Amino acid sequence: MNTQNQTTQERRDSAPQGSNDILAARNVTKRFGPHLVLDNVSLSIERGKTTVVIGPSGCGKTVLIKHLIVLLRPTSGEVYFNDSRIDNLSEQDLNEVRTRFGFLFQGGALFDSLSVFENIVFPIRQHNRVKDWSHVEDIVKSKLAMVGLDGFQNYYPANLSGGQRKRVALARAIALNPEVLLYDEPTTGLDPIRSDVINELVLKLQRELGVTTVVVTHDMTSAYKIADRIIMLHNGKIVADGDADHIRNHPHPVVQQFINGQVGEDDLAILRMTGTASQTQFLPRDFEA
Amino acid sequence: MFEVLGARAIDDIGNIGQFGRFCWQTTAACLRGCWNHKTYPLVWAQMHIIGVRSVPVIMITGAFVGMTLAVQAYDQLKAMGFEERLGVLINISVVKELGPVLAAVMLAGRVGGALTAELGTMNVTEQIDAVRSIGTDPIWYLVAPRVMACLLLTPFLIIYADLLGILGGFFVGVKQLGINNWAYWSFSASGVELWDVVVGIIKGLFFGGAIAVISCYKGFTCKEGAQGVGQACTEAFVSSFISILVLDFVLAVMFKAIYNTFWPFRSLVG
Ligand SMILES: Nc1ncnc2c1ncn2[C@@H]1O[C@H](COP(=O)(O)OP(=O)(O)OP(=O)(O)O)[C@@H](O)[C@H]1O
Ligand SMILES: [Mg+2]
Repeated sequence: MNTQNQTTQERRDSAPQGSNDILAARNVTKRFGPHLVLDNVSLSIERGKTTVVIGPSGCGKTVLIKHLIVLLRPTSGEVYFNDSRIDNLSEQDLNEVRTRFGFLFQGGALFDSLSVFENIVFPIRQHNRVKDWSHVEDIVKSKLAMVGLDGFQNYYPANLSGGQRKRVALARAIALNPEVLLYDEPTTGLDPIRSDVINELVLKLQRELGVTTVVVTHDMTSAYKIADRIIMLHNGKIVADGDADHIRNHPHPVVQQFINGQVGEDDLAILRMTGTASQTQFLPRDFEA
Repeated sequence: MFEVLGARAIDDIGNIGQFGRFCWQTTAACLRGCWNHKTYPLVWAQMHIIGVRSVPVIMITGAFVGMTLAVQAYDQLKAMGFEERLGVLINISVVKELGPVLAAVMLAGRVGGALTAELGTMNVTEQIDAVRSIGTDPIWYLVAPRVMACLLLTPFLIIYADLLGILGGFFVGVKQLGINNWAYWSFSASGVELWDVVVGIIKGLFFGGAIAVISCYKGFTCKEGAQGVGQACTEAFVSSFISILVLDFVLAVMFKAIYNTFWPFRSLVG
């Protein structure tokens, strides 16, 4: 009896999530050389929910979300998908896992030698997801329509605007109808109306297909609208974690400054010190750096 | 001082290890790719870019090598009364050394630079990560087709270079300098063996593989930014060039040993 209890306990340790968590990071630390970017971050993502990660620029949001699909490997710590560890798999095995994810890169990362149509077909073709190739055009059309870009099939990424590229990348991320969608700043660079369309799209995918979504964003309007849960990252650590109201009323000053878009006292002090533009002298060594 | 040297040595060894791994993964991906029908169109597209579009520059390279050799060697040979042997001198140099090496150098510049720049740009714009995020092996999708195309086509490009080198030498030697046509060719035929041609072409396989693998590796490990891509291209060209020369030497030694075990010494002047 005792031993049985122990094994259950051990199993719970090795698979830290209940069956309701689809993704989990456990004590993930990431260093680039001496630079500590993620400091012992643990979080689990609930199946079918939308989790939003917010935080100031450079705090490690992109690094964190890349760990969830093991595009980056943790310096220490573990990543779990469906209760099995994935951060130690070979690239070969990971490819299998990754077909169940959609990932939107912050910069879009469209293949610039391929047209919009080919970009979206790429994942479908790689994994032979359609039986009947005559349907492919319809699939691409519907994915593009979702992001409001039907008719752009034959454009090349170079001929699209920044926001349009982002939306094509989003269409590519959802091409395989993945179980988990990871978006790195989906609404950055879009006008407010287009942003809201993307928000609605995120909600729709979650509602209708039960997709689990993780969104990295700076856009608090969007965060409040789509989030079941908001996580704030600061200096490589999670400083707040909860639903929208929890975040709105969070006592931590860093959180309040961030969500209200206020400059902190430290930053203000620096601005005062550097003086006005007319006083500022640009020395040659400023340009070297 | 020692620390700096030590750190650099560790870096270099690390890089060699990384490069070795890359080579191994590429080989595995190429072998796997042979059985995967999805690879063929990729290889085909690369063959067009790498091979077909290189033909003109390769032909120009070959022709000028042949012509220049004829101009340079003629006076000396004529002074010794050996001018009719100009053909053998030109043709053996072109077929054994200059054709393969110069064609490979040309390819390192034309193709290697383009490969590194393309893959390097893909790397810094996260397109390689995008391939990974979609669940496709970037080495299979991006590197293997380029390496296979280079491996398959460099020997053919070398044949072109050889051919044009021979024609260039013939043009200057026979048409311009007035060497007897029949003597020119009969001395050539007695001096140049099939072996020489084949060795030159086999070298092409190695050169092509080295250029492609090095260029792709430099692209994959390229640093951020426009400067990073530029630097990677330069490094790729320099490394390809050096490995072409080193491989050329090593292969020359090896093939000579093989030749000597099967055939007796053969004099070109006798
Ligand atoms: N490949 C890398 N090599 C070295 N350092 C890196 C690398 N990637 C990220 N970093 C560092 O990690 C830190 C966090 O980067 P990250 O891209 O995650 O920021 P972010 O939170 O996504 O910011 P933003 O909101 O501006 O996109 C940065 O300070 C960056 O310098
Ligand atoms: Mg980011």
